[in-house]
Amino acid sequence: MLRFSLVVCGGGVAKRFASSFSGQSALPPNLLLPTNLVDPGRLKRPPPPADCSLPLLRKCDAVVPAHLSPVQTWVETLESQDSEPLGLAHLHPDVFAVPPRLDILHDVERWQRNYKRISHANTKVRSEVRGGGRKPWKQKGSGRARHGSIRSPIWRGGGVSHGPRGPTSYYYMLPMKVRVQGLKVALSSKMAQDYLHIVDSLNIPTPDSQYLLDLIRQRHWGESVLIVDVGEEFPENILQATANLKTVNIIPAIGLNVHSMLKHEAIVLTLDTVRFLEDKLLWHNQRYTPLYPFKLPYSDFP
Amino acid sequence: MSVLGGLLRAGASLCQSAGTLLHAARSISTGTCCRVRMHAIPELKKVDRWTEKRSMFGVYDNIGILGEFKAHPKDLIKAPCWLKGFKGNELQRLIRKKRMVGDRMMTLDRHNLEKRISFLYRRFNRTGKHR
Repeated sequence: MLRFSLVVCGGGVAKRFASSFSGQSALPPNLLLPTNLVDPGRLKRPPPPADCSLPLLRKCDAVVPAHLSPVQTWVETLESQDSEPLGLAHLHPDVFAVPPRLDILHDVERWQRNYKRISHANTKVRSEVRGGGRKPWKQKGSGRARHGSIRSPIWRGGGVSHGPRGPTSYYYMLPMKVRVQGLKVALSSKMAQDYLHIVDSLNIPTPDSQYLLDLIRQRHWGESVLIVDVGEEFPENILQATANLKTVNIIPAIGLNVHSMLKHEAIVLTLDTVRFLEDKLLWHNQRYTPLYPFKLPYSDFP
Repeated sequence: MSVLGGLLRAGASLCQSAGTLLHAARSISTGTCCRVRMHAIPELKKVDRWTEKRSMFGVYDNIGILGEFKAHPKDLIKAPCWLKGFKGNELQRLIRKKRMVGDRMMTLDRHNLEKRISFLYRRFNRTGKHR
């Protein structure tokens, strides 16, 4: 034991000598950092004060309830890397300041993972395995255990009695209002944690991916950014810039969902997207229950 | 422990001069070591969390709510045609498969399907507590 421990000490001392020769800031290769470390540069942006001199670029279209006040945020621009915010925007509190219901987020996330799941695991039952129609030996007299077929589940090479059977689907639907509330809770949580950014439009000067990465790092937006815009066409520059980036993704507003919002750290919305989302999500607060599916024509909708 | 002792003794004997190998060390195993031997902790497999599929997962799931109800999320599912937007136990799935796809199946598959349907029907409706 003593000899063994001496050998270990010798090796450790040699390693420490080698690392001090190589460099002062060499991190060990097997270092595991916790994933919830806070970037100190993010903590210093206060919300807009009440007496700000910047113009109010957007007011809420829908009526805000009297006991709530609109959420105020900066409206920024992507044109240059170190530009000041352009103005302020009011966001509807019933979409961007709902109470944080983590159970609804969990339910919607689990629904998104499972409703499209098809499991193709399949095993053959004893009747489907090739062979095994004949009795292997006679019932009495051979001295061996009695068997009826060579493919019964207790035989090697036999069928599986209670295995997975064929393509199985795990489809189910949550109520529409639960899915809508999940979207509202996700947007409110991103707003409350200062990960939601409003931008006037998605025009960038260059189609360079590095420009976007530098902009994100300089403004301390986070590691991954989800850019959402209304409409089917996006500016060419931002499409080319995000095409090669893995953690910066751009989606149309119809594709917004809770899983993508939770996967990406920061969300960037344009003013048109905010109007579209408020319009779509607030309608469910005061709609009638459908007598027939909404895809069939109604006289007063859309 | 006893195997380690044996290795040490073998190492010590090798370190000494080659001429005086009078005592050839033999390792004795008393049977207390575990049979599963690993030389190192296996390293974690490297999973890329930002592939195209993983970063775009779940997009268009709310196409109904946000898109004027022209499409339904069940239209997005990639599945055999008898399972799109349908969930059921094994008997229900097999009956649906027979109704939708049965006349274009191979003879052996169709025969097995019919055997399985009749077995499950008898099992569910004639045996057990819930019939």
